[in-house]
Amino acid sequence: MQAIRVEALTKTFRVRRKEKGMRGSIKAILRPQTEEIRAVHGVSFGVEEGEMLAFIGPNGAGKSTTIKMLTGILYPDGGRVEVLGIDPTKKRRQLAYQIGTVFGQKEQLWTHLTPYDNFRFFGAIYDIPDEEMEHRIGELAERFELHEFINTPVRNLSLGQRIRCEIVASLIHRPKVLFLDEPTIGLDPVVKEQIRNLIRQMNREYNTTIFLTSHDVGDIEKLCKRIIIVNDGQIVLDDSMEHLKYHYLHKKIVEVKMQEETALPQVAGITVLKQKGSHARLEVDTGAVEIGDALRQINVENMEDINISNVPLENIIMEIYRAKDRQQVKAAIAPVG
Amino acid sequence: MLTAVKNQTRVCLLSLKYNIMREMVNKVTFLMNIIFMMLNNACILIQWFILFRLREEIGGYTMREIMMLWGLTAASFGLSHILFARVFSLPELIVSGKLDSYLVQPKNVLLGVLTSATAVSAIGDFLYGVALLLFCGLAVGGFLLALLLIVTGTVILTAFALLFGSLAFWFVRVEILGNQMVMGIVSFATYPDGIFQGISRFLLYFIIPVGMAVYHPVHILAEFDAGRLFTVLGYACLLSTAAVAVFYRGLRRYSSSSLMEARM
Ligand SMILES: Nc1ncnc2c1ncn2[C@@H]1O[C@H](COP(=O)(O)OP(=O)(O)O)[C@@H](O)[C@H]1O
Ligand SMILES: [Mg+2]
Repeated sequence: MQAIRVEALTKTFRVRRKEKGMRGSIKAILRPQTEEIRAVHGVSFGVEEGEMLAFIGPNGAGKSTTIKMLTGILYPDGGRVEVLGIDPTKKRRQLAYQIGTVFGQKEQLWTHLTPYDNFRFFGAIYDIPDEEMEHRIGELAERFELHEFINTPVRNLSLGQRIRCEIVASLIHRPKVLFLDEPTIGLDPVVKEQIRNLIRQMNREYNTTIFLTSHDVGDIEKLCKRIIIVNDGQIVLDDSMEHLKYHYLHKKIVEVKMQEETALPQVAGITVLKQKGSHARLEVDTGAVEIGDALRQINVENMEDINISNVPLENIIMEIYRAKDRQQVKAAIAPVG
Repeated sequence: MLTAVKNQTRVCLLSLKYNIMREMVNKVTFLMNIIFMMLNNACILIQWFILFRLREEIGGYTMREIMMLWGLTAASFGLSHILFARVFSLPELIVSGKLDSYLVQPKNVLLGVLTSATAVSAIGDFLYGVALLLFCGLAVGGFLLALLLIVTGTVILTAFALLFGSLAFWFVRVEILGNQMVMGIVSFATYPDGIFQGISRFLLYFIIPVGMAVYHPVHILAEFDAGRLFTVLGYACLLSTAAVAVFYRGLRRYSSSSLMEARM
């Protein structure tokens, strides 16, 4: 069964526009000007049960707006949404029992209470009996190492500890689908890794479907097998991570250090990215020239050091962000020749 | 169905408990807030005592009826600010997009929002109001009736604030209007209704429902009148149904926000 089905989803925000100063204010009262922002525009996709999906895009692309429509926070202007076969606009509460949400930029916890009291509150919200709740809190606290601070008011916790508690709170009712909107924002690498492990465990043990937005390539690369890229409210790419990387593997980055400055080869398929003294960085398009042939072009006698690597995923994603539409994205990732 | 109601009640009570725990972080301030509110209310009543030294009756009220008026007003105002304090800042929540966390919970959104805060000084108002009603010399039946009328008063005040607050889904800056209206109820509700005549009387009974929230109840307590009681009950049902409908209609227009924020 598909965990999430979205068809031609659309959301437009109307915001009031006001010109500068007093005059602008008066004008705005007399003749209010509204501007339409197409946050999400005709988005369609499906997510299988147990899948881990990265839903990424530059700031303002419409990721959060999409998640809010999937979870029943926002009412779509058009299109259809089904999560676990439930329409969030019609059966919001029924759906809420089965999904979990984590918004890295928003807090759902009561800050003056301890994590323990907060979890008890969530237990009541999801109708979990007290004994069962004790059991689950114990288990989750054990697994996610919350014991140290489970009785410290949330406002006295570090950001990392707080986000861990937020995530645990969203798992207490064992959701079938977990929505995470930038869960690792502002966290240090150690906490990021903890959170990734936590998400991975959930997926492995309970087959939880994971819908993740993040600006952190590490989150995406380490967790997700599939990636959807949105820009300007539209999907520009929907592909498996493996496929995406494969397409880019035809490009290699070669970094060389020579004993002295030498002329670099002028051959089709080799682009000089950077040259500074005896250091040089080249991009080799293996679709146009064999890597062996490319290396032969470099004066081996003169070489002090060499490093060959794939194009980092970050660059791939950046290039896709820059492309304006699907056509350009295709062009950007298609092998040359 | 019954378990659903039970579970919802459990959440609301837990919410109330946590709200009070939040306010009790500083116990001295907590108690001061309550005691000062009671004293504050008591001071104003003294003015009426002095006035009634000069005259038997003002606007058709004797001192006993003034006490009932103040008792009902303070208790209803207090109870609505203990249980549903958030309704009075609803526009701000709507405009700044702070309803998200209630919308992802499998419980009633409206109750979740309304019960998410408690005004401490309102405990003082409530206790003061109930105490005044006890001192009015009502019989047991009369006192029980007074409790019922506190509930209807609370419902009317809350529903009225909800109705105006929900307009924030459509218009910005309505909170000013809404607050004026609610304050209007409270300030009118501290004067005998006999001093208002004609159009202002109509306004007070139907537009700003002070009449329904406290004047009718005072008359019912002074002299039982089933017709008035049913009017009040019917009005409370009607107003709250309308307010809830407007809130849910508006909720479809809710636009959340794209800013960072924390639960308060
Ligand atoms: N509540 C809102 N009111 C008005 N505009 C909004 C609101 N929320 C988001 N937007 C706008 O919609 C677009 C998409 O926003 P969002 O979904 O938050 O992007 P992302 O999460 O991908 O960064 C942006 O242009 C943003 O400014
Ligand atoms: Mg976002």
